[in-house]
Amino acid sequence: MSASNSFFSLRGQIIYWLAAVLLILTIFPFIWMVSTSFKPLKEIFVFPPHLMPQNGTLENFARLFEQTRFMTYFKNSVFVSTTAVFLTMIIASMGAYSLTRFKFYGREKIASLILFTYMFAPIMIVIPFYVLIRKIGLANTHMALILAYTAFCLPFSIWLLRSFFQSIPISLEEAALIDGAGRIRAVVYIILPLALPGIIATGIFTFILAWNDYIFVRILITSDELKTLPVGIADLYNATVIDWGMIMAGSMLITVPVLIFFVFIQRYLIAGWGAGGLKG
Amino acid sequence: MRISPQKAGIALISPAIFLICSLLVYPVLYGVWLSFFKKHSFFPAQKFVGLQNYWYLFTDQEFWMSVWYGTVYSVSTIVLQIVVGVIAALIVNESFKGRNFVRGAILFPYVIPTVVAIILWKWLLNNQFGLVNYALMFLGVVDDPISWMGKDHIMASLILISVWEFFPFVVLSVLARMQSIPPVLYEAARVDGAGAVSRFFHVTLPQLRNVLFVVILLRSIWMFTKFDTVWLLTQGGGAEKYIRTLPVYAYKRTFMYYQAGLGATLAVIMFCILIVATAVYFKLFRREEEL
Repeated sequence: MSASNSFFSLRGQIIYWLAAVLLILTIFPFIWMVSTSFKPLKEIFVFPPHLMPQNGTLENFARLFEQTRFMTYFKNSVFVSTTAVFLTMIIASMGAYSLTRFKFYGREKIASLILFTYMFAPIMIVIPFYVLIRKIGLANTHMALILAYTAFCLPFSIWLLRSFFQSIPISLEEAALIDGAGRIRAVVYIILPLALPGIIATGIFTFILAWNDYIFVRILITSDELKTLPVGIADLYNATVIDWGMIMAGSMLITVPVLIFFVFIQRYLIAGWGAGGLKG
Repeated sequence: MRISPQKAGIALISPAIFLICSLLVYPVLYGVWLSFFKKHSFFPAQKFVGLQNYWYLFTDQEFWMSVWYGTVYSVSTIVLQIVVGVIAALIVNESFKGRNFVRGAILFPYVIPTVVAIILWKWLLNNQFGLVNYALMFLGVVDDPISWMGKDHIMASLILISVWEFFPFVVLSVLARMQSIPPVLYEAARVDGAGAVSRFFHVTLPQLRNVLFVVILLRSIWMFTKFDTVWLLTQGGGAEKYIRTLPVYAYKRTFMYYQAGLGATLAVIMFCILIVATAVYFKLFRREEEL
């Protein structure tokens, strides 16, 4: 469109001000959370509030690690999320490869069924899902969570990867096959590297969904030692006296892995977004 | 040994199909079946009751309240998300220093865990120590702190938090499309003497039509079935009654009153409402040449 907006033109001024408002609205709450998590108890409730801690302290973090099972929740979250990510990436890649490279009866019907299930929201399946999981004896296990996340992320992941695989010319593979490479070698050396951004994008989406999920854990997990972070933190909030400092410290620690993930792989994330986005 | 492409294709897709059918499709069908039964959430005993669950809900005032709250919640959050999202996309589509940073920062509310978003806002909106009340009083907008989590304001707070949490999705989808609008269209409009506002309504908006069609559809489905944001705001206590949308009501019936049959009925009703609404939406707004 127009050339770069100078800060000194009227139009430029307006844009900078609007951008500043937008920035404050989106990240100020996070800054406030970080600031609160480093404040000693007395400062948290001081009125008028200070933007930055006057006497920074780590006591909120110390209480979080000593008085709660934060580390257990953290380990559970890491285990469940990473397992779901790997399962989804493998199963979705296989499925998308099949949908784009092999012709078989009902292929297009399967593709539409998958797209249709993308519309399912957790609340619509979680009640029968729960009854079912209890029946097959998987209630209160991490396996139940991993299955739930994998199943939930598959439709989107297959759909995304399908468009990635479609954009890779079949002739590339055929050339490798003619050169005497087996199908598996052709896939490993030619297709996977080219589809890597898509595969990584599905991994990120699954990770974020699994890491952030509340409802499945709330419903499927009853033992405290099996809970993941979101439910663990939400339960801290249910205590009679709300320890804001400790809750903010915990909230910050759950957010950091997502942010790190996010900053490093933002370009893949945007690739995925264009193709339909993450649900929620 | 050679495997036929037919068999190889089916073998590769079958794990995905198995998981999707057994964990997504089957539960939905099982939910429909459950909706004809009176069933306790924990005990195996169940009794066929025909359409009694549906009839019960039809005459249940709480159900109609939840339909009402659900509608208020989804319609207002969707409208606000789209408006805020498009405005934000217009801003970050301009070129200015630090644009990439602002673009990244905008996504922040969307990628943080919902539980964190809720806790953050409950702290900001806390009636005694919250920053929002402090700022409003400091600026002289109000004299007494507002009870954001009280029954009069909780729906407004919920809508505010939800719009904050989900507008980035709109920004990203819309921004991607905005960047692909040919600049020549704007130049032509400018030559014709169109001002900025007129350019937005006559050039930008028609170009965004298709992407907005999809974004509104997805966001409507997701807002209408949103559970965690709504539930976590009160976790079943306080003024929960005043934001009890359909998903929350289904959860309460199943996991607090242990009426799994009734909970499943509510899920089926939500599903039907969505299918009907989607069909109407397509009929009204989808034109042949699109998508």
